[in-house]
Amino acid sequence: MDVSQYLEIFLDETKEHLQSLNTQILNLEHSPEDADTINEIFRAAHSLKGMAGTMGYKRMQALTHEMESVFTDVRNGTLKVKSNMIDAIFQSIDALEEYLTNIQANADEGNNDNEHIIKQLQDILAGGGEEEAPPKKEKGATKEKAVSMERKEKWLEIPMGESESNVLAVAKKQGKNVYGITVRIQESCLLKAARAFLVFKAIEDLGDIIVSEPTTQDIEDEKFNLDFSLIIITEYPLAKVIEAAESVSEIESVVGGDLEIDTSGVEAEEEHELVPLGNAVAVDNTAAGGGGPQPEKKVSKPVVNRTVRVDIEKLDVLMNLVSELIIAKNSLVSATSTEEGNDRSSGVNEQIEYLESVTTNLHESVMKVRMVPIESVVNKFPRMIRDLSKKLNKKMELYMSGEETELDRTVVDEIGDPLMHLLRNAADHGLESTAERIRIGKPESGSIFLDAYQEGNNVIIEVRDDGAGVDVDAVKRKAVEKGIISFEQGENMTEKDIVDLLFHAGFSTAAVVSDVSGRGVGLDVVKSKIEALSGEVEVKSTRGEGSVWTVRLPLTLAIIQALMVTVGGEKYAISLGSIQTIEDISNADIKFVQASEVINLRGTVIPIIRMSEILDIESKKSPDEDMVVVIVKKGDKMAGLIVDELMGQQEIVIKSLGKYISKCKFISGATILGDGEVALILDANVLI
Amino acid sequence: MDLMEMNLTHETNQFIVIQLGEEQYGIDIKYIDNIVRMQHITRVPKIPEYLKGVINLRGEVIPVMSIRLKMGLPVDEINKNTRIIILKLDTHGSIGIIVDQVKEVVTLEVNNIEKVSYDGKDERINYISGIGKCEGGLISLLDFAAVLAE
Repeated sequence: MDVSQYLEIFLDETKEHLQSLNTQILNLEHSPEDADTINEIFRAAHSLKGMAGTMGYKRMQALTHEMESVFTDVRNGTLKVKSNMIDAIFQSIDALEEYLTNIQANADEGNNDNEHIIKQLQDILAGGGEEEAPPKKEKGATKEKAVSMERKEKWLEIPMGESESNVLAVAKKQGKNVYGITVRIQESCLLKAARAFLVFKAIEDLGDIIVSEPTTQDIEDEKFNLDFSLIIITEYPLAKVIEAAESVSEIESVVGGDLEIDTSGVEAEEEHELVPLGNAVAVDNTAAGGGGPQPEKKVSKPVVNRTVRVDIEKLDVLMNLVSELIIAKNSLVSATSTEEGNDRSSGVNEQIEYLESVTTNLHESVMKVRMVPIESVVNKFPRMIRDLSKKLNKKMELYMSGEETELDRTVVDEIGDPLMHLLRNAADHGLESTAERIRIGKPESGSIFLDAYQEGNNVIIEVRDDGAGVDVDAVKRKAVEKGIISFEQGENMTEKDIVDLLFHAGFSTAAVVSDVSGRGVGLDVVKSKIEALSGEVEVKSTRGEGSVWTVRLPLTLAIIQALMVTVGGEKYAISLGSIQTIEDISNADIKFVQASEVINLRGTVIPIIRMSEILDIESKKSPDEDMVVVIVKKGDKMAGLIVDELMGQQEIVIKSLGKYISKCKFISGATILGDGEVALILDANVLI
Repeated sequence: MDLMEMNLTHETNQFIVIQLGEEQYGIDIKYIDNIVRMQHITRVPKIPEYLKGVINLRGEVIPVMSIRLKMGLPVDEINKNTRIIILKLDTHGSIGIIVDQVKEVVTLEVNNIEKVSYDGKDERINYISGIGKCEGGLISLLDFAAVLAE
């Protein structure tokens, strides 16, 4: 079978399962007895094994098989969760991730058998078995048989919700038979799902299936081993049901029995309960008439995600089309505005305004489709912090909030590494050692916070720690040592400027280079990566209390609101997000401070930048006229850009200038205006 | 499919013949995406002189370069024959080049293409991958890897 077409899906789903495993096992570490968590882990391991098997990745399958076995025992209560087991499972997950990376790179899982991990898992399995062995030996002469018996009567272990037990109890009251049966399919059977389907059909002729384990959905998808268990309500005797099930070929065995049900609970409400139940059964029957094992879907877990997987490229195409639509709309707007005074124009204008609101809404919807919660990136961090905690031998906890905050898919894909760097940095450099914390009276366990939230057109992600804060003197000393700044410069720098030196390339204050937070290539990479996403990163630090790293990212990358200005007859766009105010100033207002021009605006001294000089063009205004100054802001820094004229606000589509023109730093892109002309977008963040 | 490729690469190549100053140059049609009339070019500051700026081609922003300036010829004289040829290259994406005139399409047999020996004295020869012989005379075949290199 050619499975290559499923590779994408396999990779996606495997990643999801591994992530879910990571999260669930962290949960398990905190609450080792939680049945839901254990079930979830078991399911994930089981699905992984199935998927790896289907795709023919034998090593991956072998490893997941061992994991599944361990959790089978945990689920049955024969094995207790211990820390060495958690560690082994984490190692297995890492190994699986490695396989996955290999598969992604060259469609092959690689040659690493990871025998030691498998051995470890097997030891854990054996260890658990020994502990539990004595009672079993007393019970049965041969352990083998006990196990196989246990396996056969799986219906006894079907978990039941309240609603199901109610239905069963009422049925029992009505004098119907409630049976549990376990059907085992022959190992040689190729179409398990089909056989199961036939069994379902045969049994449905006799009664109603209330619960099935695994769920019908899983059975349809062949996500089960060789057996499945059912709880049914029927008027016929058990023997007839078993006979019906056995009539299907390739069935190895069918076992069943009466299900004991406590009917006392429903007695009081019996009268009321009876009527709705009758209805429910009737509905079930009509549904069943349509065919297939559908009815018990009602009692199984509701489908949570109603989603469609869409190739990101298709969304890009859609996005481009929306962009073109907005350009076309802008052309219409500019075409009609030149014909003003025309009698018909009011009607046209109305329609254009309507078109404008539709395109804006359309754009927003398409943007939303591309938005994904940052959860997919941040939920690998708790695991990372746990590992770091062990590695660095520091006690620490990660608290996260706002995982549901959404960002453009392209940004989310890129933001993982920078955030990881910041977290590692906080864990390694930020937090003091446990001994030190105890000495200075801080809580023994350090705290790292990751908070995400939306603010206007930006998403803010903050990484905070309650560690020592940045040692300004140490940074200054180091910067001088490395020749990044001169000693005099250092003396004159503000604390904030010094802290900003941390983002300078080739800077690391950790006395010992550790493999955790790298060799000082971290923070400048973080900065450039975030800036490549049109974002910003800032750090604020208080000595002894900790540091806050703030990452600010734009919500959307493709379409922005911009102010159009002219400089020397050329049109330029400035993102509205960075504009603070617009001022009219006269020549006399310009003062000189250290040979650079500034203005004093309501008490704040703001440096000014003559755009005509930056853009190498002659300004069309005479020097003694009043000047238009656009005040732009980045963090708490401001600058005034002198332009010739303002043209107004416009929604613009950001287009890249192409690979061939990349030298111009302060031009972040281009846009196409209503008249088809190209205007460049000025990046205020670079100019400041 | 294979046969067609063979035809293109080994037996005959089609070239668009353009005029630059006094000389005729050939551009392999497999690189050509489009030919448009001269239009307003938006200047981009702080880029090399031979890059004239960007244009809007059906909603895409495309950089335009003056091949004359790049090759050390006098500045373009814009007239009604001036065209922008949009090239599509794997390495550089789409890029437009300004030419004086687009003349015709010629088909050259492989044995009518002569490789040029590289002597490096004349700057222009660096941008040429071969000389084609046809009825209209000799045409220099442009080597885009060199023309577009920075």
